[in-house]
Amino acid sequence: MLKLLNTILIGLSTGAIYSLMSISLVLVWRSTRVVNFAQAGQAVFSTYIAYEVSLRTGNFWLALLCAVLSGALLGAFIDFFFMRMLFKHVTSGPIRAIAPVVATLGLLGIIRSAVGYIWGVEVKPLEPPVSTDGIRIGSEVLPFSTYDALILLIVFVVLMILTFIFQRTSLGLSLKASAFSPEISRLSGVRVDLTRTVGWAIAGACGAIAGVLATPTSLLSPNSLDILLVFGFVAAVIGGLESMLGAVVGGILLGLGVTFIANYVGSTLVFLSAFVFLIIVLLVKPAGIISGKRSRNA
Amino acid sequence: MMGNTTRKRAILASALLAITGLFASALPAQAAEVGVTAKEIKLGITSPLSGRVAAVYGKVPGAMNAYFQHVNDNGGVYGRSIKLISKDDAYLPTSAVAQTNQLILKDKVFAIVGALGTANHLAALRSTNLSGRGIPDLFVNTGFSGFADPKKYKTTFAVLPSYRMEAKIMAKYIKDNLPGKKIALIVQDDDFGIDAAAGFAQAGLTFEKTIKFPVGRDTAADAQGWITNTLKPANIDLAIVFATTSTTAALLGTSAALGYRPTSGWMLGSVGGDSNTLIAGRVPLAILNGAIGFNFAPDPQDPTDEYVAEFKKIYAKYVPGSTFDLTVLQGMNTAMLTVQALRAAGKNLTRKGLIAAIKAKGSTFASAGFTPLKYSNTSHVGYNGYWIGKYSATGALLPIDGKRTIYTTDSGSGAVKVITSSRAKLPKDGLPTNK
Amino acid sequence: MPKKLKVRLSLFILLGWVLLLLGDRVDELRVYQGASIAVYAIAIGSIVLLTGYSGQISLGHGALMAVGGYVAALASFEFGVPFWAGFILAALFSGMFGGLLGIAAARLSGPYLAGTTLALAVGLPSLANQFSILGGEQGLYFDIGMPPAILGESFTQYKWFYWIASLAALIVFFLLSNLLSSRYGRTWRGIGSNETAVALSGSNPQRLKIVAFTLSSALAGLSGALLVMTISTASPSAFPLALSLSVVTGAVIAGVSSLKGVILGSVILVAIPEVADAISHRVGDTLRISSTLPGLIISVLLVLAVLFTPNGPGENLRHLLHKGKSHK
Repeated sequence: MLKLLNTILIGLSTGAIYSLMSISLVLVWRSTRVVNFAQAGQAVFSTYIAYEVSLRTGNFWLALLCAVLSGALLGAFIDFFFMRMLFKHVTSGPIRAIAPVVATLGLLGIIRSAVGYIWGVEVKPLEPPVSTDGIRIGSEVLPFSTYDALILLIVFVVLMILTFIFQRTSLGLSLKASAFSPEISRLSGVRVDLTRTVGWAIAGACGAIAGVLATPTSLLSPNSLDILLVFGFVAAVIGGLESMLGAVVGGILLGLGVTFIANYVGSTLVFLSAFVFLIIVLLVKPAGIISGKRSRNA
Repeated sequence: MMGNTTRKRAILASALLAITGLFASALPAQAAEVGVTAKEIKLGITSPLSGRVAAVYGKVPGAMNAYFQHVNDNGGVYGRSIKLISKDDAYLPTSAVAQTNQLILKDKVFAIVGALGTANHLAALRSTNLSGRGIPDLFVNTGFSGFADPKKYKTTFAVLPSYRMEAKIMAKYIKDNLPGKKIALIVQDDDFGIDAAAGFAQAGLTFEKTIKFPVGRDTAADAQGWITNTLKPANIDLAIVFATTSTTAALLGTSAALGYRPTSGWMLGSVGGDSNTLIAGRVPLAILNGAIGFNFAPDPQDPTDEYVAEFKKIYAKYVPGSTFDLTVLQGMNTAMLTVQALRAAGKNLTRKGLIAAIKAKGSTFASAGFTPLKYSNTSHVGYNGYWIGKYSATGALLPIDGKRTIYTTDSGSGAVKVITSSRAKLPKDGLPTNK
Repeated sequence: MPKKLKVRLSLFILLGWVLLLLGDRVDELRVYQGASIAVYAIAIGSIVLLTGYSGQISLGHGALMAVGGYVAALASFEFGVPFWAGFILAALFSGMFGGLLGIAAARLSGPYLAGTTLALAVGLPSLANQFSILGGEQGLYFDIGMPPAILGESFTQYKWFYWIASLAALIVFFLLSNLLSSRYGRTWRGIGSNETAVALSGSNPQRLKIVAFTLSSALAGLSGALLVMTISTASPSAFPLALSLSVVTGAVIAGVSSLKGVILGSVILVAIPEVADAISHRVGDTLRISSTLPGLIISVLLVLAVLFTPNGPGENLRHLLHKGKSHK
């Protein structure tokens, strides 16, 4: 019983971080139809910014804020200078499906080299804002800390803010419209290009939050968020790629699934289990858990 | 239809042109011995400078180079300066083979030194056939026991004690000092695991729980599960950790956060036991304090050790601003052994002469290691054991018995022996004068 | 039709002859790289077949290459099968594995398939540590043996690799170009652009997709086996995610819609690390530069290539040649 509880607790906080990464991939996918591998690099860059701010001021929240801003700027920058140009050249056919992937891989390489050059390859720590010690209940220490609770809270708040933006603001309407029918949006006066850049910026900000939140319990290096990107993508696919709710559900499910495998079968099968999990979901629902029409309303 | 074929022919022609362009390279002049001139000795190393493990091992070539610079600035080896050509293999076997080929076929190095990574170097060794070509492959930077096999790999010399030796020595210590305890093993599921498991099996040590984890896994979350769901319910007395520093750091950090500690504490394998790196990885000193550790070299934090002091000084001069840790110490130590091997091979430097010199004199080389070097005509094993220590309140690894007893063994069925250390004195200014 | 076949056959024989001559003219490093180029050419060809012709995306062909590599190594290491038979088995087994995957894949559209194959590439290599027969992290030794004595004393191991890999590549591309220019191949290309039209013309797009995935996997398996030959070792770390991604990159550079750029793509994959290394040594030799600059150069070239020639430089070259000809 205790084992079950422990496993669920670990799975939740793991899944929460996957969710954030997954949200940022979904946002880019929705607005540009690009699987953005560069997100691992964007997030790592923003997290290094957080590291610098935290080192100088000792203030985690200021560090997080700077990371979010730099993540948003970098996201907008990439869309404005690279993706716009790319889509001017790429028209249709099979290349449309993979050229952007390769472009984002190239961007990932560029960011990673830059980060490696600026900060070197030695690992960097990031101090957490609250205790990472397990919460004590009687004689038991749960594998769940104040910090884990904070992560869940932040994911919830991010989801609320994004839902608000998408449901209640005109920006949200344009974002949704230009994602699902760019031509009609353009005709009805939406500045599709600008809206898309805003989508990339929001995605970059979410990725930055994921990176910053994941780092205090591990360590920062130019490659430290690669695996998070892979799991975030798997979570996004499980969630159906179109809705943010799907991204969160996919992230939490994947986090729980992976943690159950690690604790009940063995850590060695964790990587393979992500694949098995994904293929089972997709065999049952080829377009993810939350898909089709419903997602367009989410 | 015919137009299509003509076009195809043109494409083929242009593709061929591209290949020819790539292939066109000048043939090198044949020297007396490859990679040696009157002024210079070219050595090569492949190691991960980028990618996942660069954070752990990326400092090795820089550390070796710092020592070589020091020697070069003080007259070199018989007037020849050493040039270390470093290639990034990103810890991938395919790149290791390609880069080793670059080193031996394009850069024409005299020898390979300090190559890193079991699977990577094994692939490089087999594919490029260093042994058959007679290219010296010195002081391979891994604890995998299979490299010290003079029959298979005639020119390859190991330097680090093998994981198998370490496991046997751990088992011996536990049987002598902690009998009847419930022991758990947490081990990386790769060559570490296989080699170490063989050593524990050889020594007849059994485990209450064995936890294996894959390379590259984010361990903090998994470690929470290992502790709360496995170690704690099983009332483990002693937990052995056979993993890299990043994993060890994550595990110890998590154990501190969960207020957990096996009743008799932690035992850390040498690969993940560098306290500098652990502390930089946010491991609280309180959890490290009292853990048992293994090392063949001095603790990099030990200011009283003459080798540490000298290496630290050299490193600070040539690589300013970088932390001096166990990886750096081992890299510089390997470089120092290399210089002695080159000296021992004499003024008329040849590959054959170098290998013969290590076989004949390698066991007498001065080095920071407390355990003896076992090079001989029949053995390519380097250090063959460890001293056992306990981490102090400041994180320094201090001899557990106060007098630094050395445990030696082999990678086979040999017994674990206890000897006292007789390390050679540091040559003046860290500059070997051996012949 | 037979005349076209004859022309094509003689073209490939000519190409083989040129490759043979090349192998004798260059030094050993280039011979080794030549073998790698042939290996990557087959791998890139498998992506072109999959993506360019049937419109499916795979970010996990490294996993299929791993299947082929391990089958070949196991066949020779455990069962003593001759190496050439090992290569055939590698293609068969990975084809079968890919076929199973293809059945699932045919139901999935673009990004879902990308995600699934990506997860496969990350997960599959970890199996090697689960079964001792697979040799764990240090992997299985794959030794195809010395070149036959008849080729002479000075015939090196690498030249032997080069011959084998080049011959395999020539055979593969000969068969593939015949297949793709057949009626079957044209229908295939139809699925990539317009699945409904294909269905209306009486073919079953699902089945065609599965066949494409199976064939592509078989080719990936063959290239994996040849890769294992060139590094003499089948180990999990030889098939990282980076391999899958670089094969896709090569295919994009080659111009994914046609087989013709494949050689260009693989030459670039093999040559770029060396070029980047050379440039970064010119710039400076500090650890920071030598550990970050090659990666930067490769990435910048990649981004520029995709930005300015999104259909692949191979394709652009083709357009250029085409234009030149029509001016005549």
